[in-house]
Amino acid sequence: MLLDVKDVSKSFGGIRAVRSVTLGIEKGSISSIIGPNGAGKTTLFNLLTGIYKADTGSIIFNGRSMIGLRPDQVNAAGMARTFQSIRLFPTMTVLENVMVGAHSRLHVSILQTLSRVSAFTRQEERLTEKATQLLHFVGLAGKGDEVARNLPYGDQRRVEIARALASDPELILLDEPTAGMNPNESADAMALFRRVRDELGITVVLIEHDMKVVMGISEHISVLDYGEKIADGAPAEIRANPRVIEAYLGRGAASGIDPNNPNPAKAEAAK
Amino acid sequence: MTTSRAAVSEAGARSGFWGRFLSPTSAAVFLIVYLAVVIGLLLSLDRASLWFSIQSTIVFPAFILSPLLIHSAPIPRTWKAVLIGLVMLIAMPIIGISDSSYLELAIQVCIFAGLALGLNIVVGFAGLLDLGYIAFFAVGAYVWGMFTSTAPTIFNELGILIPPDSQAVAFIIFIGIGILAAACIGILLGLPVLRLRGDYLAIVTLGFGEVIRIIARNGDSPTNFTNGSQGLLNVGRPLVSADMVSRIDELSNTLNIRVVGNLQPLTQQILFYFIAILMLGIILVVANRLQNSVIGRAWTAIREDEVAAIAMGVPLVRMKLMAFALGAAFAGAIGVLYGAKQTFVSPESFTLLNSISILAMVIVGGLGSIKGVLLGAMIVTLLQLQVLKNFSLQLNALKNIDYVILGFHIRDWPTQLEPAKYERFVFGILLVLMMLFRPAGLLPESRRRLELMQTNDLPDEPPSDIPGTPSGPANPAAAGD
Amino acid sequence: MTTETLSTRPTTGILDSLRENPTVKRIQSNWIYRYIVFPIGQMLFFIVAAALVMTVIAYAVSIVVPEPRPNINLAAQITKQLPGMIVSGVGIGFVYAMIALGYTLVYGVLKFINFAHSEIFMVGAVVGFEITDRLAASGTIASWNPLILVPFVVISSMLVSGGLAVLIERVAYRPLRGAPRLVPLITAIGLSFFLIDGVRALVAVTRNDFNLTYPTQELDFLKNPIPLTFNGPVVGGTNIGGVTYEQITADGVVLDEWQVESATYSSITVGGVTLGGVPVKANDISSGETGYDMILVEGRDLDEIEDGANIVNIRITVIIIVLSAVIMLVLLNYFVNGTKIGKGIRAVSQDQATAGLMGINVNRMVAITFFLGGAFGGAAGALFGLNVGTVTPYVGFIPGLKAFTAAVLGGIGNITGALLGGLTLGMVEAFLNGTLVYFPALGQRYTDIFAFSVLILILIFRPSGLLGERVDEKV
Repeated sequence: MLLDVKDVSKSFGGIRAVRSVTLGIEKGSISSIIGPNGAGKTTLFNLLTGIYKADTGSIIFNGRSMIGLRPDQVNAAGMARTFQSIRLFPTMTVLENVMVGAHSRLHVSILQTLSRVSAFTRQEERLTEKATQLLHFVGLAGKGDEVARNLPYGDQRRVEIARALASDPELILLDEPTAGMNPNESADAMALFRRVRDELGITVVLIEHDMKVVMGISEHISVLDYGEKIADGAPAEIRANPRVIEAYLGRGAASGIDPNNPNPAKAEAAK
Repeated sequence: MTTSRAAVSEAGARSGFWGRFLSPTSAAVFLIVYLAVVIGLLLSLDRASLWFSIQSTIVFPAFILSPLLIHSAPIPRTWKAVLIGLVMLIAMPIIGISDSSYLELAIQVCIFAGLALGLNIVVGFAGLLDLGYIAFFAVGAYVWGMFTSTAPTIFNELGILIPPDSQAVAFIIFIGIGILAAACIGILLGLPVLRLRGDYLAIVTLGFGEVIRIIARNGDSPTNFTNGSQGLLNVGRPLVSADMVSRIDELSNTLNIRVVGNLQPLTQQILFYFIAILMLGIILVVANRLQNSVIGRAWTAIREDEVAAIAMGVPLVRMKLMAFALGAAFAGAIGVLYGAKQTFVSPESFTLLNSISILAMVIVGGLGSIKGVLLGAMIVTLLQLQVLKNFSLQLNALKNIDYVILGFHIRDWPTQLEPAKYERFVFGILLVLMMLFRPAGLLPESRRRLELMQTNDLPDEPPSDIPGTPSGPANPAAAGD
Repeated sequence: MTTETLSTRPTTGILDSLRENPTVKRIQSNWIYRYIVFPIGQMLFFIVAAALVMTVIAYAVSIVVPEPRPNINLAAQITKQLPGMIVSGVGIGFVYAMIALGYTLVYGVLKFINFAHSEIFMVGAVVGFEITDRLAASGTIASWNPLILVPFVVISSMLVSGGLAVLIERVAYRPLRGAPRLVPLITAIGLSFFLIDGVRALVAVTRNDFNLTYPTQELDFLKNPIPLTFNGPVVGGTNIGGVTYEQITADGVVLDEWQVESATYSSITVGGVTLGGVPVKANDISSGETGYDMILVEGRDLDEIEDGANIVNIRITVIIIVLSAVIMLVLLNYFVNGTKIGKGIRAVSQDQATAGLMGINVNRMVAITFFLGGAFGGAAGALFGLNVGTVTPYVGFIPGLKAFTAAVLGGIGNITGALLGGLTLGMVEAFLNGTLVYFPALGQRYTDIFAFSVLILILIFRPSGLLGERVDEKV
């Protein structure tokens, strides 16, 4: 197990956003976390990356406890992420955005920076080169000098992924990476996620709503509902799981669902 | 990327004022004529003239701004360097010999430009609004003052003052000490407060600035460290040698310039002018290198989106502390220079008004823009120390001869309505107008222009998938997905 | 997680069980209870609580440092001064509370610290001066009934300050709504500076002087304080508690620019007057470090006065402050909780966008809020002016900062919090004013540092204040 989450809970005031969730992520896998809106998926990501402190439970990443680490320390430990609503640094260039992503892999010394010794210049050169390569990898070659917020939506998502990859992570957490994309773009994105795993050897975890993406790419799916994990398994198992169908469509619908239609939302619309 | 931005600014410069000039040569000729006219006018102004105050208020700023004008001109770099060198290292001292008040102004501009560049690191680069910045300046000034002033302080009583003949060496060492002391205090203050949200940080730093001032004002009892509200008198300075004085004398004779007043203090001023130029130069290099580095990018990232920055591995508190400490260090170093130059350090030089005037320099010039901040420092310092003051002098001159304009006796102008006393009014209105109409400043940094011009595109709180960040009450309902 | 914004109910849950009782519920739903009994009771409760806290702290300090300087028994001094300190603490406290309301109301709806509020307070003080001064100049002021004069002055200040606040919002803040946080904050700082010198220029043109002294000497009802004799533990008496002395003499020279007031001599308006080459500071008098052999106050030696009367004089202005504040706070409570506009304001404070979608005119609600906050600031200014006598265009800064501290102390955005914070801060300050003089190493000049320190510490350790709920520190 690369990531081992045990009994993690988080409450806000009286609302228990995540209730003792346990899940494991295999090294080298592509997994998804799904669930209806408000199920606690993003909160779980925020707990994993240290943005929230878990009330209880343990998070072991690569044999190391992540509990109590700050987000930057979690990032340095090898867990990178993207955000549901794109959070690029809007007025920096695309290349600079990606360069910031590598911060935890750099040696930042004020004296070196001020004296511009060769170590500093070399580091800057390597960094620029690496960022350029990453942009090439996500399919944004030649767009490095554009200001991030002027890019089209889909490209911004790619920059976010390149930025996350810049920290050389072992695990990348993608929060709804295909939200707002049309089917063609989604297909491209899926191919990109596969390449991240296959070519870079990075474990991928997605939060997704698009069932085509989820079912098409995931080797393992966990389902959250009201902060609890209600199911866990391979795509086929999840598709047939009555609790999952119930969570998405309500009890009444659970009996009449067509297991071959991968998108329950469409199923309901069709009724 | 760097090249592309330079190209953009070059193009920007061409399309504006400099667009009229077809070749570098014509631009250079224009600059030389401009400089000749301005310097000639400055040297020929008649101090006895009734309108002298107004005249010098018009001509001197035109001279002081010329390095920036040269810098923006479409001419080769070496020409720029030569011209700027001529203006700053030769023309200015000569003008200073003819009237040392210009030299004083130039030194003050350098001092405040240095301070503004330091504050720019904190506010402009890292986006932390510091309203007590002057406190670090005070630290530098007091560090030097306490060990050299002849005021009856504890240091004087204990006999641990630096003897006058070794003050030149001590001055250099104390610049280092000033840097360290200010940076340490910056870190000590920053550690607890940098976790605060922007507006709270502003108020806490304001409080801190006042606390430092009150401590300085009351630091005369029970043990006299600061000599209280009377301030530290006779603060030491690196002295000029008799040799240097005689050389300035020769120089003024060769140039046929009549020296007004005593030669020794003039030579001293010239020395301080060169020290100030040197320090400003170092600060400029440092600020520039910081901006174009990992550190500078991390600061920008923090400024634009703290949550994204920390999630990308930027250690928030450490980077903020670095900005705070570096900004403080600049102020500490310049504080030492200021103490030595003024030979008098008192709490009244370090008020909120001073902090705000430095902030005004940064805002007027352009947050984060090094060139802009230099321009801002020139404008605001000249406003404060020359324009308003000279308006007052002019008013008094006109009052004395009972000048009548359009039937109004200048004599009847209320004495309480003296322009020099209305700095707050000017700074206040400058800040408001800049924020309303040109929030990115007169010479905006390219990034800032994007950030501040189209403010409506940028929600002040990112529509967060992280409830409640970066501010305000969290909304648990949004905690899910 | 949510800080309950603009609520007037304390979030302490001591009486939770009682609330379920049907009789209690019936009483609570009665408007007399809700809009009169409850807020006044709450204020009384806060006054008593703040006074108790101060007393406990005072005696605790006296146990730790029983004799801060030779022959001074701190406990005995405190006992002697306590009633005076409480009275002046309530007076200062209500002024702070009223200013703090301006910060809190605006913060509640816009999540923005209106840095210029201290100057709106100052404008109130200057307007109060203008009106009383003009009445005095026309010679009619003495013939006014105090019960009409005081409300007239206060309400005029409220209208001008409130109007100014609305104008500022319209011209300077509204165009910047939605801009990055630093932008309106810097605008507010600029406005604050602009207003200080703007007012200064106005008064400079009209009277060529910017020390504005209220014509309190012509107001008979302000002259004589109400003496209160305390029995029981009070021995000796207070200092020259609360009387405005017209003449202070040092070595036979009259210090006529001064006014001595409140329990100790701290609030003398001018910080230092050079007399015969020796600067004298207000706090020097009380700590006996003047360089003068003897200081006479209205013909009596200072030492003699200190050991003299066993009476606490309650200044009329303190009573006026407390009465006006109570009336206005009751009205504010009704306005915010009992009217439709109040409901609109609360809605805007919770979610501007949604409130707008529900048909609430957000701009109007924001303007009304600014008016309310400005009016409270103006009232505080006029009352403050009546109390201290002399104001200048620079008078806003320190009270403004302290009131902001009070607002943060109580929990910014929370109306009840502003009241509690103001009273607590006023009380602590009165205590410091009264006792710091006995500590030779400190002296009263550190009173202001204390307020700043409180501010810094609260912001660091409990930014949500006493009544705000803790907000999880993010990132």
